[in-house]
Amino acid sequence: MDEEPERAKRWEGGYERTWEVLKEDESGSLKASVEDILFQAKRKRYMSEGHGQVRLGMMRHLFVIIDSSRSMEDQDLRPNRLTSTLKLMEFFVEEYFDQNPISQIGIITTKNKRAEKLTDLAGNPKKHLAALKKAVDSTCVGEPSLYNSLNVAITGLVLTIYTLHMPAHTSKEILVIFSSLTTCDPANIYELIKTLNALKIRVSVIGLSAEVRVCTILTRETGGSYNVILDESHFKELLMLHVKPPPASSSSECSLIRMGFPQHVIASMSDQDAKPSFSMSHLDSTGEPGLTLGGYYCPQCRAKYTELPVECKVCGLTLVSAPHLARSFHHLFPLEAFQETPLEEYEGERFCEACQGELKDKSVFTCLACKKVFCVECDLFIHDTLHCCPGCMQTDRTS
Amino acid sequence: MKLNIDGLLVYFPYDYIYPEQYSYMLELKRTLDAKGHGVLEMPSGTGKTISLLSLIVAYQKAYPLEVTKLVYCSRTVPEIEKVVEELRKLMDYYTKQTEAKNDFLALALSSRKNLCIHPEVSALRFGKEVDGKCHSLTASYIRAQHHSNPSQPVCQFYEEFDAVGRQVPIPPGIYNLDDLKDFGRRKGWCPYFLARYAILHANIVVYSYHYLLDPKIADLVSKELAKKSVVVFDEAHNIDNVCIDSMSVNITRRTLDRCQTNVETLQNTISRIKETDAAKLREEYSRLVEGLKEANVARETDMYLSNPVLPDEILQEAVPGSIRTAEHFVGFMKRFLEYLKARLRIHHVVQESAPQFLKDIYEKVCIDRKPLRFCAERLRSLLRTLEIADIADFSAITLISHFATLVSTYSKGFTIIIEPFEDRTPTIANPVLHFSCMDPSIAIKPVFGRFQSVIITSGTLSPLDIYPRILDFRPVTVASFTMTLARTCLCPLIVGRGNDQVAMTSKFETREDFAVIRNYGNLLLEMSAIVPDGIVAFFTSYIYMENIVASWYEQGILENIQRNKLIFIETQDAAETSMALEKYQEACENGRGAILLSVARGKVSEGIDFVHHYGRAVIMFGVPYVYTQSRILKARLEYLRDQFQIRENDFLTFDAMRHAAQCVGRAIRGKTDYGLMIFADKRYARADKRGKLPRWIQEHLTDGSLNLTIDETVQLGKHFLRQMAQPFRQEDQLGLSLLTLEQLQSEDMLQKIAQIAQQA
Repeated sequence: MDEEPERAKRWEGGYERTWEVLKEDESGSLKASVEDILFQAKRKRYMSEGHGQVRLGMMRHLFVIIDSSRSMEDQDLRPNRLTSTLKLMEFFVEEYFDQNPISQIGIITTKNKRAEKLTDLAGNPKKHLAALKKAVDSTCVGEPSLYNSLNVAITGLVLTIYTLHMPAHTSKEILVIFSSLTTCDPANIYELIKTLNALKIRVSVIGLSAEVRVCTILTRETGGSYNVILDESHFKELLMLHVKPPPASSSSECSLIRMGFPQHVIASMSDQDAKPSFSMSHLDSTGEPGLTLGGYYCPQCRAKYTELPVECKVCGLTLVSAPHLARSFHHLFPLEAFQETPLEEYEGERFCEACQGELKDKSVFTCLACKKVFCVECDLFIHDTLHCCPGCMQTDRTS
Repeated sequence: MKLNIDGLLVYFPYDYIYPEQYSYMLELKRTLDAKGHGVLEMPSGTGKTISLLSLIVAYQKAYPLEVTKLVYCSRTVPEIEKVVEELRKLMDYYTKQTEAKNDFLALALSSRKNLCIHPEVSALRFGKEVDGKCHSLTASYIRAQHHSNPSQPVCQFYEEFDAVGRQVPIPPGIYNLDDLKDFGRRKGWCPYFLARYAILHANIVVYSYHYLLDPKIADLVSKELAKKSVVVFDEAHNIDNVCIDSMSVNITRRTLDRCQTNVETLQNTISRIKETDAAKLREEYSRLVEGLKEANVARETDMYLSNPVLPDEILQEAVPGSIRTAEHFVGFMKRFLEYLKARLRIHHVVQESAPQFLKDIYEKVCIDRKPLRFCAERLRSLLRTLEIADIADFSAITLISHFATLVSTYSKGFTIIIEPFEDRTPTIANPVLHFSCMDPSIAIKPVFGRFQSVIITSGTLSPLDIYPRILDFRPVTVASFTMTLARTCLCPLIVGRGNDQVAMTSKFETREDFAVIRNYGNLLLEMSAIVPDGIVAFFTSYIYMENIVASWYEQGILENIQRNKLIFIETQDAAETSMALEKYQEACENGRGAILLSVARGKVSEGIDFVHHYGRAVIMFGVPYVYTQSRILKARLEYLRDQFQIRENDFLTFDAMRHAAQCVGRAIRGKTDYGLMIFADKRYARADKRGKLPRWIQEHLTDGSLNLTIDETVQLGKHFLRQMAQPFRQEDQLGLSLLTLEQLQSEDMLQKIAQIAQQA
């Protein structure tokens, strides 16, 4: 709406009823209720985990569709929906590659009834981050088109997977961040949903405003998830849920994938044989030319790259490093959730095994394997970051 | 699950039960125990139908001598079918649990149009045509002619049924309309007459209101229902209007013209018959001398022209001499017709009571009260004697004869209004005689009198005390049930002001105000941006809607709204409306989103449900008061004040609020559904309006949601819609608003349940 007066001031935006979640206890104090909320928030994310032993689609191909229609200018996220989303997306892209090093991502935006590919499917975070940074300045106009953007994503996914001779079971996913409540489609979207279903593409949607029927159907039919955000932190939480690889469909058969593990060749200027050379990944980037010494050399065709993981431009081999693969290992064998016991019921030493601090919170957490006890903070750290129990490691070593 | 309701074993065909269903059954049981009438309000989507059926069937099984029959009255054919399906589920459960053979007979009854299997007759499109055609094939004299003259066509299905159908009882089971038709086809019997015969010994009958309330039909169809029946009126919030409509007659100049032709046809036929078969007329004469009682030997196929509630004493009397011969009667009708014509030739509005009318007619054309009373009966007899097959043609004269009988029978509760023109078009002469019933209790009185228990139930009956008053009966239970919810899935908001603080109201003085219209437009615009999928907006009248929409168009508001959602409009044309509705649903389905602009009291507001995404928000623009300048309404209000001590304002508000509640209730059709209910008029915030909303809406109307501005509404709405979009599973409901048998039997749950029902 061009004529609409600009509502840039925060106090004009509206009321936030932050007090509504608070409840007084018997004595009229809010403290207990606040603590409870904080505690719950900490535990929430990790409670949602735990699908145990299932096969996961480790090689992910994900297209993120970002709605950039008029409704993205809404200021219920600060400073507005678009900026907030892009910021979270940057974080998401980093996390995504951190956790799924052999996966790829691509970004599509939709506005003015059209869909536009911001970045192609690629395994390198830098390009995506740059594109996201640039997108902040774009204006949000018109209606989004779910149909068009899904169509672009399908073409992208199918094309990549064909050209790279990927096995059919690599997980194909689309994540839609949908702010508008309307979509402007050139054809019947239900036909497209059938196509998606046939291609086994999972579509998940994160809604920024409310539950839209067509998204419910879309996600239900394709086996994705559909969530609507409550506020910014909830948004982040929902986005992070998509960092973990989804369970693979059990019907897909096992197959081997060719991968290259190039060694890092370090050459110093003093070395006579070393010649500076361009990295292959600079072929299509207009950025700094960067003549470098050394790098990763493709074991098949000897093409040089400065960064991993990457697909070889010449022979199409996926190049990764061993630590990358190892990092995605923990998804397959997730650390089991610790048992929660209220502090009053717990008998024993009141020290956290990890940080050696005193146990003060409401509950304590016991590892089921080694029976060591941890505090909330450490429990979270272990499950979110370490992915292995320090207590168990210690007992392993000593035995 | 098997429940113990106050000592009665009730089979309930689901694994889970809502607490309010349990509470409802308790109240129902008490009503049946007391052999009295009840008024029960429970929101739609909480399983009223199955609770009613389970309890009453259990009661019938436990005390077969106390309650012999359940008569379930619903409004439309789809609703009737739904009830039968629920019943089928219940009966399947019974058979599975008890492993006894089912000996229950339950069936649905509808008009000939829905039940006819005759290849030619059922192909006709309109109900009237089907009835007329059927009559011309099955009337007793047609069949008698058929005996002597086999080329006279008759309906073979009826013949077959008449020959053997009555001796062999229909096997026990559950029959919906299609089942009846199948059964009829298999046996070669007419399903309609089979059903009409079978309701006499069926355990459960499901049919439309009219079979009980419309005296013209009730007399024939429901006459022989046993006294020990339980009668249920479902969706009964409009029952008073149904009663009134069934007793009112409107006569226009066109009716009179057609009546004139009818009279001429009659006259010709009589003179023709006189030449050929004078004996027949003489026979009729002597029959009439003997009295109507004998003449009234039931011949069900001749039911087409039956009598509006004739008091019993009339049936004992003989038809007065002045109209006993056919010529005299036709002459009498002619005089009556001329008198009516003269009355319609006026230039000012006349309102008079029935006695005044009778006095006037006596003075002007010397028509006495007594022959008038026999008018309908006499016409019926004449048409039968004359063997006129196609009775549909005689609807005009039938109407006039009904009017004659009614006006002379009832001296109270009716009014006659003659208007020379419509109020909106004062220059075009279009005289109408309204013979309007003002007292709904007249039509329903026989029902309350005859049956031991009558249950009136609906989602919106508040305020509960008014129905017993206007229908003039004494209920033993009056209760309102709330919806127990695991999450607050309805969000009623009262918007009183625009962002510019101008009060929003459809009050007559300010409804043309530019600022009000603009604010209404802004409200819709803002809502269209935050509500997903479908929004239904209700206006108070078609004219008001047209004005507002035109004004929005000029101000460019419509254009802005259309960026968010498509707009569809309900019109007075039924075909257009159903088309709009279809496209509206398609737009909701496809994610484009749509707004349906419709009118309270219109077709959409009464019969169409907007489940889930078809209605995420309902906006009620203004308070839907009935058109208060109407003379009929004024007369009715006066009558209510004099007879029932109900103040005009109370009744008007009650009527407006029940329609508003109906409108906003369209969006919530169950516990998993959710929706915003926006009342856009500052008058809703007043206690007298708010207090008349059903309890299940009132409960969620906090002080914080009164008299909001548009901005505040948008904030609250956004918050609500986000909350509701969070995942919601059945497990979340368990124990709170959905109970298993164990949960139901726990002490504190029983205590909680006791609080659900609020006695009025």
